[in-house]
Amino acid sequence: MVYKIMKGNTFIFFEALLITLVLLSVGFSIGLYFESFRTSKVIQGYKNFEVEALDLKLQNYYFQTLNKGNCMVALEENINFADRLYDEGLIIQKYEDINQITEELLLEKKRYVLLKTELWLNSIILKERCKEPFHTVIYLYSNTPGQAKEAEQEAISNVLKDIKEKKGNQVILIPIAGDMELRAIDLQMKIYNITYLPSILIDEKYVLEGFHNTEEIEKYLK
Amino acid sequence: MDWLTIIYFIMFFFGIYFLFIFLIIYSKYRKQLYDYPTPSRFPFVSFLIPAYNEEDSIENAINAILKVSYPQNKKEVIVINDGSKDNTRKIVEWLMRKNHQIRLINKENSGKADSLNQGIKKARGELIAVTDADSYPSRDALKKMIGYFEDENVGAVTSRVLVKNKKNFLEKFQGIDYAVIAWGRKILDYVNSVYVTNGPLSLYRGKLLRQFGFDPKNVTEDIEVTWHILSEGYKTRMSYSAEVYTSTPTKLKKWINQRVRWNLGGLQTIYKYRRFVFRTNNLFGYFVVPYVSLAFFLALVGFFLFSRFLLKKIYFYALSVPLIFRGYNIFRYVSFNFGLTFLLVLGMIFFSLALIYYKLALKDYENKKIINILIYALIYRPLYILPLLISIYKLFRGDIRWYTK
Repeated sequence: MVYKIMKGNTFIFFEALLITLVLLSVGFSIGLYFESFRTSKVIQGYKNFEVEALDLKLQNYYFQTLNKGNCMVALEENINFADRLYDEGLIIQKYEDINQITEELLLEKKRYVLLKTELWLNSIILKERCKEPFHTVIYLYSNTPGQAKEAEQEAISNVLKDIKEKKGNQVILIPIAGDMELRAIDLQMKIYNITYLPSILIDEKYVLEGFHNTEEIEKYLK
Repeated sequence: MDWLTIIYFIMFFFGIYFLFIFLIIYSKYRKQLYDYPTPSRFPFVSFLIPAYNEEDSIENAINAILKVSYPQNKKEVIVINDGSKDNTRKIVEWLMRKNHQIRLINKENSGKADSLNQGIKKARGELIAVTDADSYPSRDALKKMIGYFEDENVGAVTSRVLVKNKKNFLEKFQGIDYAVIAWGRKILDYVNSVYVTNGPLSLYRGKLLRQFGFDPKNVTEDIEVTWHILSEGYKTRMSYSAEVYTSTPTKLKKWINQRVRWNLGGLQTIYKYRRFVFRTNNLFGYFVVPYVSLAFFLALVGFFLFSRFLLKKIYFYALSVPLIFRGYNIFRYVSFNFGLTFLLVLGMIFFSLALIYYKLALKDYENKKIINILIYALIYRPLYILPLLISIYKLFRGDIRWYTK
């Protein structure tokens, strides 16, 4: 019956269906290609950072054990690495927000969090050794915030971004997701008595819970 | 893939599919758009003009019909005065004194469908033409429609409605809108799926109207009668060359009222004929009913998705408002996160096809600049949702009536 109705001119409906399916497949493939491209870029980026982190760690050992070389070089490397890691973190977040087909980049995010923690510890060591007046600003945020917390986190993130732009190398800004079930992070949070996310830890001394404006944060960065 | 992505995907699937149906049909029949069968005989035609408070336009409408090129002894004009409170009756009576082809039925106000049914009872024609009292058929319109009836299976033939008044923004874009609608209707003619025989000028096989007439409960009797004809297994056709000019609303409020009525009538009709889905021996049940139903449904889903996106964004920024009082400059950071995703690719394909559709529809139209097409696609068309939402609200409240006058 359906065939009888569809025959003749109405075969057009099947033609249209076929073209639509082809076009949707093409659109789907293009989209998938871009999403996969973004994901693989993040994974590749992580691999590069991993090498850089190892390099940085070795430099540190070198300065610590042999007490040779210029401390400033290590410090500069550390700051540059922190900046790149920070920028990459923003890109991962952006990709994760727009990707629609591919899986969440959870594993990559965990790896980045650990790298950042390592960087943080590295910065603490360098700060003590080099006696240089730079500040570590650790922004501990929630990876699974509700709407209200997400808005608050975005505000904090924007304020911190401005401060980093303004202060440049005087500040190492390290955003770390504090609720990714990573023991190293949990331990650090316990040490500094951080119970609320989002919080800002400045120079391992001051804990600012929730949103604080630029002036309030800058008071701790004199 | 989350549920929202799947919904977007389904929407794009249907949107692109429907657009391709139109574009493929056009590519096959583009050289025959203006063709029409030459009549071998001229059956008697009764013109019915239902009129309610039409003193401003009735004289010109009747004169336009009298001037329609057709054997004089083969046509009559029946005006059904639906309880007008103005001078409509006097004007028609004055015209009757000058021309004996005109007849007048005076009755209490009971709506357009009922008026037409009264007219059908008095009509002598083998064919019955229905015209609005503010519409003006071109001289050769009838001759370009009559020939279709030589196919015994044709139950109704409709015409191409063009806008008479095109001065302000709304009128100008209604002009474009009517041209786009007419083109789409003609395209569906090639698959026997013309689902509206418009009020300004449509021609019906008399025996069908005498059999079932117009549904007085439906506020868009022209849609309902077309679906009735299709559901009986007859064909409905459109003559793209047969033109009729009509007056359109000049103000937004009137435009909304008109469209609310169209939507309400459309929804009433879908409900009435829902049992025909996949149960007819023509495309009515396989294409017309599902297509029109889906068009309504997808418009609503699209609106809710867009509103959800917008509200989420607004709510997100609203949550930051208390932080303004703590020194946070929210306005510096308002942003949208765009990236090339597969939905964006599908969206671009859909939008490009829609623009091609409009461009083709307006190929022979005076106002076809790309800027106008963009304004039409991005500003005018989205306005469709407003009357649709109002009509759904009214439907739930049971407030179904004629809103135009």
